[in-house]
Amino acid sequence: MKTGYLVLEAKRALRNPRFMFFTMVFPVVIFLIDVASFKGHLPGTTQSYASYLMASMAAFGAFMAAMNTGARTAVERSAGWQRQLRLTPLTPRGYLLAKGGVGMIVALPPIVLVALVGLLAEGVHLSAAGWAQVVLGIWVATLPFAVLGLLVGQLATAETMQVFTSGLMIVLGFLGGILIPTTVFPDWMNSVAKVLPSYWLADVGHGAVLGNQDLGRAALVLGIWTVVLAVGVMRRYERDSART
Amino acid sequence: MNETTTSDGGWRATVEPSRAAVSAGAAASLTGLRKSYGEVCAVDGVDLVIAPGEVVALLGPNGAGKSTTVDMLLGLTKPDAGEARIFGKSPAHAVSDGMVGAMLQEGSLLEDATVAETVGMIASLHRRPMAVAEALRRAGIEDLAPRRCTRLSGGQKQRVRFAVALVCDPDLLVLDEPTSAMDVATRREFWHSMKEFTEAGKTVLFATHYLDEAEEFADRVVLMRTGRVIADGSVAEVRAAVSGRTLRAVVPGAVETDLLALPGVNTAELRGERIELSCADSDAALRALLAGYPRAHDIEIKAVGLEEAFLALTGDAREAQR
Repeated sequence: MKTGYLVLEAKRALRNPRFMFFTMVFPVVIFLIDVASFKGHLPGTTQSYASYLMASMAAFGAFMAAMNTGARTAVERSAGWQRQLRLTPLTPRGYLLAKGGVGMIVALPPIVLVALVGLLAEGVHLSAAGWAQVVLGIWVATLPFAVLGLLVGQLATAETMQVFTSGLMIVLGFLGGILIPTTVFPDWMNSVAKVLPSYWLADVGHGAVLGNQDLGRAALVLGIWTVVLAVGVMRRYERDSART
Repeated sequence: MNETTTSDGGWRATVEPSRAAVSAGAAASLTGLRKSYGEVCAVDGVDLVIAPGEVVALLGPNGAGKSTTVDMLLGLTKPDAGEARIFGKSPAHAVSDGMVGAMLQEGSLLEDATVAETVGMIASLHRRPMAVAEALRRAGIEDLAPRRCTRLSGGQKQRVRFAVALVCDPDLLVLDEPTSAMDVATRREFWHSMKEFTEAGKTVLFATHYLDEAEEFADRVVLMRTGRVIADGSVAEVRAAVSGRTLRAVVPGAVETDLLALPGVNTAELRGERIELSCADSDAALRALLAGYPRAHDIEIKAVGLEEAFLALTGDAREAQR
């Protein structure tokens, strides 16, 4: 692994103030709006709506940050920079690790920020293990989305990238139960949701709050998605030479 | 005119008799290279051997297949048929060993990185890169190191891309239209920095459509058209061919054999009353033409274009062999 390359890529991603601001502030704002509209406790539990929504928005923030970071590679690909990268010893695997790593780095701050707002401003109470699962669990569960974003970046152009990512984020966000709870879904939609990586990302966060977790299955489904998408990214990197 | 565009292997052999011998230790060799995109045949059987230390210009109009050929040499595009080797290795192997550096045609730079970071990023990926500062110095852009790539002029960007190509300390440098975004002065400076590289005995292949650039900086010129190599020769041969002019006029009562007999005329074509003479010495030809045909009118003399020059070159070479 070329760490020097990873460091430079991370620096580039973190340097964009508008992107970083939007990535970190947007989930916090939605969190605060949601909390203001849903007061009290989740039916049948001792947990507040705020804690549930905190998990949702931490997951959503991480998911958005990871997807957008990956998808932005479409811009440098369209500009021809990826052809230049292909003239270096960087392997498809090295590319995946470096770019995926950057997506993961960018995904962490929104999780931490939403959790901090939950703890300090909204009085969310969780056990130490619960907090660890909300922050680290959600972060690790973001991995397939960092890779999915990269795949979008490898397939889309600089112009179509935004449409692809927004579409995917809406579909995955709603159907996966990040933006609305899957308990309101009819049965068939619930079955569909369980195949989506976003369902399990949300489940890791909500499980930490509600205590009903299936981390083994979450790891399995998220792992399969990560591997399949990663193979897609590496293949595409290796073959894509199109002059655009 | 079309029958003269086919390549002439026999002629090439007389120009560079050592080419076959050199192919064993060639810096680059392309054998039977072909590539089609759908119905369009971009490269249609290119054979080319470049010896170590040669500076070769790949000339041709847009759409001649230069960029596709360069892409296949670098391993960016897989050929449909044929093979590309760099110092006897596959392109992927040569790239991974840092033996080849390239400046691609439309490659832009990262918008959110400085010049030093951009060159540093590429250097960090290579196994034995030269120091970033050295690459910047050779490209003549030390002073631009802390600047963001977005805030550079077209010529400066090209120099940064030159540093990116140089930083792996390659033995073969491939440049696709390196000076297309440069003004005349910047182009001159660019080729000046190139000299340092070529004087170290390194090999360069550059694609261009500027004939003067090829003449001035290349040892050898390869002309491509519609996916084929149609001429391949030394710069001296090119220069000789380019000194010609084409004379067109309307000449009532012209006779082809008489036109051919005029001084300074190489070939003559007659369509009705319209004549087209390709001339080694158009001044002499014109004087004689007006003396012989006082009614000649609509006279037009043009310097031979790049393509015509090469066609003339291949044509003459054939005549000489007969």
